[in-house]
Amino acid sequence: MIELEGPLGKSDAVNRELVSLERELSTLRKNAAIDPFGLYLYGLVLKEKGSDSLARTVLVEAVNSYPWNWNAWSELQSLCTTIDSLNSLNLNNHWMKDFFLASAYQELRMHNESLAKYENLLGTFGFSNYIQAEIAKARYSLREFEQVEAIFEELLRNDPYRVEDMDMYSNVLYAKECFSALSYLAHRVFMTDKYRPESCCIIGNYYSLKGQHEKSVMYFRRALKLNKNYLSAWTLMGHEFVEMKNIPAAVDAYRRAVDINSCDYRAWYGLGQTYEMMGMPFYALHYFRKSVFLQPNDSRLWIAMAQCYDTERLSMLEEAIKCYRRAANCNDREAIALHRLAKLHYELGRPEEAAFYYKKDMERMEAEEREGPNMVEALLYLATYYKAQKRFEEAEAYCTRLLDYTGPEKETAKSLLRGMRTAQSNIPSMDVEHLPP
Amino acid sequence: MAGIVKPPGAFAITPHKVSVCILLQIYAPSVQISLPFPFSSVAQHNRLGLFLLALTKSCDDILEPKLDELIRQLREVCGLLHDWFIDHLTSRLSSISSPDDLFNFFTDMRGILGGPESGVMEDDQVILDPSSNLGMFLRRCILAFNLLSFEGVCHLLTNIGHYCKEALSSCPSYEAACSEDSNSNLEALLEYENMDLENLVFEKVTEEIEARKSASETVPFHLHAPQTFFGLVEDIEVLVDVKPKQGDKDREASSYVHPPNDTSRDFEPNCGIFLRSNWQIQGYLQEQADAIEKNGSCVSLNSFELILRRLHKLAPELHRVHFLRYLNSLCHDDYFAALENLHRYFDYSAGTEGIDIVPPASGCNNFGRYEIALLFLGMMHFRLGHPKQALEVLTEAVCVSQQQSNDTCLAFTLAAVCNMLSEIGVSSTSGILGSSFSPSTSIGISLSVQQQLFVLLRGSLKRAESLKLKRLVTSNRLAKAKFDLTHVQRPLLSFGPKASMKLKTCPINVCKELRLSSHLISEFGSESSTMTTDGAFSTVWLKNLQNPLGSVVSSQENGSGSNTNAFQFYAQPSSIPGSVLQLIGSSYLLRATAWEIYGSAPLARINALIYATCFTDALSSSDAALAYVKLIQHLAVFRGYKEAFAAIRIAEEKFLSVSKSRILLLKLQLLHEHNLHLGNLKLAQKVCDELGVLASSVTGVDMELKTEASLRHARTLLAANQFSEAAAVAHSLFCMCYKFNLQVENATVLLLLAEIHKRSGNAVLGLPYALASLSFCQSFNLDLLRASATLTLAELWLSLGSNHAKRALSLIHGAFPMILGHGGLELCARAYIAEAKCYLSDPSFSVFDNPEVVLDPLRQASIELQVLEYHELAAEAFYLMAIVFHKLGQFEEREEAAASFQKHMMALENPQQEQRFLFSI
Repeated sequence: MIELEGPLGKSDAVNRELVSLERELSTLRKNAAIDPFGLYLYGLVLKEKGSDSLARTVLVEAVNSYPWNWNAWSELQSLCTTIDSLNSLNLNNHWMKDFFLASAYQELRMHNESLAKYENLLGTFGFSNYIQAEIAKARYSLREFEQVEAIFEELLRNDPYRVEDMDMYSNVLYAKECFSALSYLAHRVFMTDKYRPESCCIIGNYYSLKGQHEKSVMYFRRALKLNKNYLSAWTLMGHEFVEMKNIPAAVDAYRRAVDINSCDYRAWYGLGQTYEMMGMPFYALHYFRKSVFLQPNDSRLWIAMAQCYDTERLSMLEEAIKCYRRAANCNDREAIALHRLAKLHYELGRPEEAAFYYKKDMERMEAEEREGPNMVEALLYLATYYKAQKRFEEAEAYCTRLLDYTGPEKETAKSLLRGMRTAQSNIPSMDVEHLPP
Repeated sequence: MAGIVKPPGAFAITPHKVSVCILLQIYAPSVQISLPFPFSSVAQHNRLGLFLLALTKSCDDILEPKLDELIRQLREVCGLLHDWFIDHLTSRLSSISSPDDLFNFFTDMRGILGGPESGVMEDDQVILDPSSNLGMFLRRCILAFNLLSFEGVCHLLTNIGHYCKEALSSCPSYEAACSEDSNSNLEALLEYENMDLENLVFEKVTEEIEARKSASETVPFHLHAPQTFFGLVEDIEVLVDVKPKQGDKDREASSYVHPPNDTSRDFEPNCGIFLRSNWQIQGYLQEQADAIEKNGSCVSLNSFELILRRLHKLAPELHRVHFLRYLNSLCHDDYFAALENLHRYFDYSAGTEGIDIVPPASGCNNFGRYEIALLFLGMMHFRLGHPKQALEVLTEAVCVSQQQSNDTCLAFTLAAVCNMLSEIGVSSTSGILGSSFSPSTSIGISLSVQQQLFVLLRGSLKRAESLKLKRLVTSNRLAKAKFDLTHVQRPLLSFGPKASMKLKTCPINVCKELRLSSHLISEFGSESSTMTTDGAFSTVWLKNLQNPLGSVVSSQENGSGSNTNAFQFYAQPSSIPGSVLQLIGSSYLLRATAWEIYGSAPLARINALIYATCFTDALSSSDAALAYVKLIQHLAVFRGYKEAFAAIRIAEEKFLSVSKSRILLLKLQLLHEHNLHLGNLKLAQKVCDELGVLASSVTGVDMELKTEASLRHARTLLAANQFSEAAAVAHSLFCMCYKFNLQVENATVLLLLAEIHKRSGNAVLGLPYALASLSFCQSFNLDLLRASATLTLAELWLSLGSNHAKRALSLIHGAFPMILGHGGLELCARAYIAEAKCYLSDPSFSVFDNPEVVLDPLRQASIELQVLEYHELAAEAFYLMAIVFHKLGQFEEREEAAASFQKHMMALENPQQEQRFLFSI
């Protein structure tokens, strides 16, 4: 064994004995003198050596003959990186298979399928904390924070000393900016076991929320020292470095997260954002492209990408429009997309499209009962647009709504109304003139 | 984050370093310690110095060599003196038995360092400059020792003990681990003990030998290290009086007698599992990068990728590997892998390693240097044929480097933009330079691509000069020379005071730029090698060290040969980096091209020759092929086709896999010419079509090749007397050249049009074309082309009637110096024939007065044309000769000339006979 230098000191190891181990185990398997645990071991060796497909078959054999070895299942799961490879597995029917599939679906970002499986399992194993936590994980990925919080509160009631998955709870609390709950959680896990990566991560989150980024980095680093493949710690540490304006360190941290698991769209997104901050929008696009590929239903990613195209330097407006449209289609919470779409169409001289999006934006704002400059802008544009289209009734309606607001727009609306009235009174007389007697 | 660079504190003193210090003491003995000075010649002394340099350079090792390996290296390097060295080394090492000895040792070491305060010195004393490589090493060692705590000193002492013991006992657990680990290894320790007992037996024997030895020889011997050295003693004995080749045999024999001795040889096969030093890996990567740059296709994509992947697995923090992976996939046109690896490399390195960047004056280090990533990304896009994206990225690079005030990167980026514009800007008139692009905003918008290029080039050059980026200055100068070569100088802006600009290219400028560009080599020659090349340097050393080792094994079979490899070791690697050599080389190649265009054949040939002979190591194979192509073309024009084809065959063997296209192109060109001359027009057309196909490859249209193909097409049509078709082709070609600003080609096309009109009998129509071509040639200083245009003009005048013969003759005479000095066979022959024709058609000239005036040029022409196998013109020359002889009444000569005429006419009408020869090529 040779220890290798890692980013946080010596950690990795190269095993020279793999070849001889493999030789021994393969002869044993050939002679059928191997038990399921031996098969599991053989699978591990094969995976380490990089012969993935054989490792998969061997691990399948192992779990088929002894299904209760969860380690074998999870090794198998790490070898199934596509849905095809998952479906091609020849697994015996067993309730452990459902656990495996649920977890594998989660890893393959098929959150709804995974959720369904877990809820199904919960019917059988009603008191399982594990299943509860996994459900929380799936819901977290679906960004249903309220339910997640409820589940975790329940979990903590059932198992007050639980540390596993609590980092996700802390993420939720962080996102909701619940200072006291987060500090309570941090204190609790600290008392339970302070040398768990999860505890360090929770404490890191706590400091981050308090704005003490140096301390936060220290704890994330400790978490990584305990488990250097701890994905979310790398990403979170990247966020902290961004806050501390230490760009190279941030990029490095994100990149390590991505290299551990190239499906981590948050890290890709972080990389893109970092580069965008440095004024390299074209370079950042590469990363955003990666992240939207992994998470095509997240409006934030599409908006970030669109904003890159939308920058003054690139001004690739057509591409920006495409991205904004995707963002608008996937439930854009911050309501940036529709407004930008309307504006871009207006700038590109497409009044109809602009009107369409302004109208949509306005409808959204009405539904969410929001007011603001965007509302005024939309109303003003729609009023002038319909006036130009000679659809005076609609135009009048928008103008009258504008009158409720103060500011220069009110005057513009008044003059618009006046102009329309005179035009309307003129039209009939003109018509009369043009009619033949 | 922990980088790959070791923190300075990691320089720990180890037994190996102590041995190097001892050797240093031999190399530069201080005055106080009266060591005998063992060197009999300066060369020997230098050899040891070089060896020490290599040792110190590879001293930042992960794993250091064991004593017996060091001894073996010493033996390879130091020849006859090695026995003395080894003896001194071992005795010195084993004499260190207490911490106090170590203190004394390092105090002594301080004495060999020279310094400003060490006033008096003897003449022949070698003083180690404290700031030299060796001096630095020594100082670091002394410092490291002084920093040691007492426990540290004790550890060092025990380690030295193990270090000596291991070498002597050649233990089986040799490959176990570093020496630090071994003191915990109880089992191994026990083994050592056993070995020692064994050694005692041998010791008596060696002592006997020693006694005998010291009696007979002057070399002092203190053999404290018994067993392995027993073999050495044998060697010494042999080496003193017998030739080395027998020494090998004897050594072999002796190794049978003393089996433990064998392990030192057995070590070599196990070498693969040993860790390499950081420098070595860096050097290896550098070497591979150079290889890829030189000739990308020689590295196989997958196997190299496999090596890199393994390397990455073993050294995850060595980010250079990603860069190499990028390079590898780039040169195999794997877009996605290249993109992925590029991003990964720069994410990890933040652009702060690699490129020899001058550190910024202000402390803006916080931000990394991501603009370099943009620069590379831009070049990648360009290389893979996405100029629009490349431009987008490079613009971003310009902005970011301006923001970060990274002038170096800015200069490089501008140079890259220039390079790109000069490659793509000419063939596509619009579209690429969108409104978003104007790095040189101050100039305005209405610049043409070329003007923009010129502005950029000047800006980039100025910046590079002020930043003292020598390589960039040189490459910019080359680019500028290229630009000056093919572009007429024009005022940049349409408004403003109109300076008197001559509409001309400036050969002086070109020469100036080229000359200035090759100053680089002298600058690098005087300078010591830079940081980046250090890694490569140390691998070269180590490779050279390995060479003799290999030869020891092989020479056992053939007896001799061990000496030849020893010489290789002494060949010092040049300190000039490959990239510099490449740049200088390309300056010569450009010179050759420039002279080719300006029309000086000898100078072009000389420059191509210099390139092909002096820069063979550094140049990329495609450039080398280009040089060969130029030489072969020269051969074809001046020596005829037979020699040229023979040369092609050699070149084809030389450039078998690489740049086949270039050689293929040349072959097609020569085949076409040859067939035209032979009158084998169908085949000529076929060849010409093939050439046209080559012009539009998958990656894009090669404008130059396309023009050449249609030019050749027109010439073939002309040879077939299809004048109107030829004229149409030439005309459309002219339009194309005009559209894409291919000025030099324009002159050629105009000349061809004149030729077509001349052949079709419309001399009057041909005149304006010839004159236009002349003026083009004049403004571009294309002297040779100008001479041939003058010749055509003369021929046109001549065909207008005999009353213009005088004028034509004076034109020809005016052009003669140029034609005879630099023209090829065909041009000379044409000129001779035209001259003779002028005399003959001049009514005031009488053959009887001075027949030689006519006959001599005709004879010359016929000889040259026969070499060239140009049947048509040869027939004409013989025909004229026959007529002259007839007039003179020399019938015998007349018959001879007539027979030759007939022969050539027959050959022209039956080209099939020659075909067999051609197809055999």
